[in-house]
Amino acid sequence: MCRQYIREGYQVSSNECIRWQGNLACLRIDGVMVKSRHTIEGAHVFGPDSDHTTLAISGLSLLSDECTIQSVCIDGNIEASILLACGYSIDEKAEWSISCGEDACVSISRGAIQKGRVDGFEIDEEFHSKISEAWLTELSAVSQGAFVSEQAYLSSSSARMNLTSQKMGDLLIWPPREMVGSERPEEGSALRWSGIIESWTKLSAGGAPSEFSLRAPILEGISTVFVRLIDGPCGVFLIADDEDNLPQIGGDVNFAIRRLYAQDGMIRYGLKALIS
Amino acid sequence: MVDVAVVGAGQTKYGNHPLGLKGMWAEAAEAAYASIDGDFEPSQVDEAFIGSVAFGGAQLGNTAALLTEHSGLDNIPVQRVENACASSGFAFRDAWMAIKSGQADIVVAGGIEKMNDLSPERKRFWLGVSGDTEWERLAGLTFPGTYALMARRHFHEFGSNHDDLVHISVKNHMHGLDNEYAHLRKDVSFEKAQSGFMVADPLTLYDCCPTSDGASCVILAADHVAKKLSEDPIWVLGSGAGSDHLALHDRPSITQIRSTQMASAKAYSQAGISAADIDLAEVHDCFTIAELMATEDLGFAERGQGGVFARNGIGRLNEGDVTINPSGGLKSKGHPLGATGTGQVVEVFKQLRGEVEQSRQVRDAGIALTHNVGGSGATCAVNIFGRDIK
Repeated sequence: MCRQYIREGYQVSSNECIRWQGNLACLRIDGVMVKSRHTIEGAHVFGPDSDHTTLAISGLSLLSDECTIQSVCIDGNIEASILLACGYSIDEKAEWSISCGEDACVSISRGAIQKGRVDGFEIDEEFHSKISEAWLTELSAVSQGAFVSEQAYLSSSSARMNLTSQKMGDLLIWPPREMVGSERPEEGSALRWSGIIESWTKLSAGGAPSEFSLRAPILEGISTVFVRLIDGPCGVFLIADDEDNLPQIGGDVNFAIRRLYAQDGMIRYGLKALIS
Repeated sequence: MVDVAVVGAGQTKYGNHPLGLKGMWAEAAEAAYASIDGDFEPSQVDEAFIGSVAFGGAQLGNTAALLTEHSGLDNIPVQRVENACASSGFAFRDAWMAIKSGQADIVVAGGIEKMNDLSPERKRFWLGVSGDTEWERLAGLTFPGTYALMARRHFHEFGSNHDDLVHISVKNHMHGLDNEYAHLRKDVSFEKAQSGFMVADPLTLYDCCPTSDGASCVILAADHVAKKLSEDPIWVLGSGAGSDHLALHDRPSITQIRSTQMASAKAYSQAGISAADIDLAEVHDCFTIAELMATEDLGFAERGQGGVFARNGIGRLNEGDVTINPSGGLKSKGHPLGATGTGQVVEVFKQLRGEVEQSRQVRDAGIALTHNVGGSGATCAVNIFGRDIK
């Protein structure tokens, strides 16, 4: 299961840094710095499914434990629609500002830009180059994959990105349905981002859907879990960072927003499972 | 109400077929016409239903109109039936209902798929179009992955294991060895099937059916016509169908296929029989775990006992009360998606008439069942056949 692209273990050199949703996060009084844990010769680079947007969402979810953030100011590297789907509004005059570093780093701050040095995993440069190339090709190519239109994708983005549920009496529903029986469910609240593995599989590169055909061989396959969320509903999720742990039935997972695939020039994001 | 019989049935060999859609369909139709004992002209056919996924996008629209005009079925109502891998199982049911309703006397049901003239990329795209695109496929699932999730859960809940699946694979390859229409005619040892290339953990290559080209054609007739056309008609004793949530996450359990349970309950009820009365069953083993679960859902094994059923070889040819997949099933015979359902009917038609190779003939076969599943179980058609009318 463990992929060999990570060459060394990592050390978080700063006392204030924690590992958070597969990233490195340094929480401070007036903000948070989130870096990819992957490095090449000390420089932080994105992992196989991360970018500035995923780092920003990760940082915001960490900050949400500390304070309430409703709106943010972003720079051009952040995909605004994803933040909107996660419940944040975009406002140039917002108190909180998200700034992207030149490397795989974002600062979310209501003061000065958060900076600092953190040690990460050294990853194989060739692996990183191949994955980056695959994303570029996937973005520019005409997809052979199953077509989920931008409209269809965005219409369910709140459920996809934020686990926003529906309800019918005491029943919580996710993913969203048009009808349950003969009734339309009402909009519910966001479900908690944790669950239990009910089953799992790892698909070989050849067995993966065509949307993943460029990256699956580089990743040596893709892994998927069938999860019962602790609030009740079930779902299927790709596993992120599966070099760390083997999935096990009954094991705990939580979630992070990562890249899923690209279609028609647009990166599609969604929740991926992180094995606890 | 009118009784319905199958009076003719034929198919192409499954596998890598040299002909295109029109050629394959004409070959299957000719074989079906030739199998009719009495005088028959295609012009006698009132209506036709053709199952097809239109894999690769070839003739996605008006498929049935194109094909039937190349088999002498001119100027009659025709339609393509699409329910993923269960397309022609449902085409058969539509044909049966057309006669049952009194609207037609002779109806063609068939199916076709051309799968092996595509690039690997296009093939993988089309193999996934029948699952839940928005939530499952974008979580990386194709059908091998979906069935792998079911398998691992079944192992966990009931103590079944991969060796049980290996028994199914070995059995079906053994059954298909002498089937002249089978795609993969090779003897597969237990050890070889055990150590196959991993496709979707825990399913290996030997747990997965091949992608096949093929066409199949069945001719159904109302009782008063059937007796004139055939010396040995095979009667349709019952036909049931069901559906379930498309996505696994909406189902109460992923270790059973409710559409199969629903379809078989209805078919058994119509036929006035139970699973214990079935002599042979053509079961939809797109993956070995699908056969294991089907033996439970169809009532051949108790819930959770499909692994034991496989392990004990109960479905092997003439060894237990029921023979499962004497054709080799999808695993060996092959799986040309749209053609599979009526291809199963071709097999039971010949089995019940004693017309298959003697080495794989089910002894004293009197009642047979076909089980055709769409995707991971969103749709299912079950049909029951007998040598004798009820």
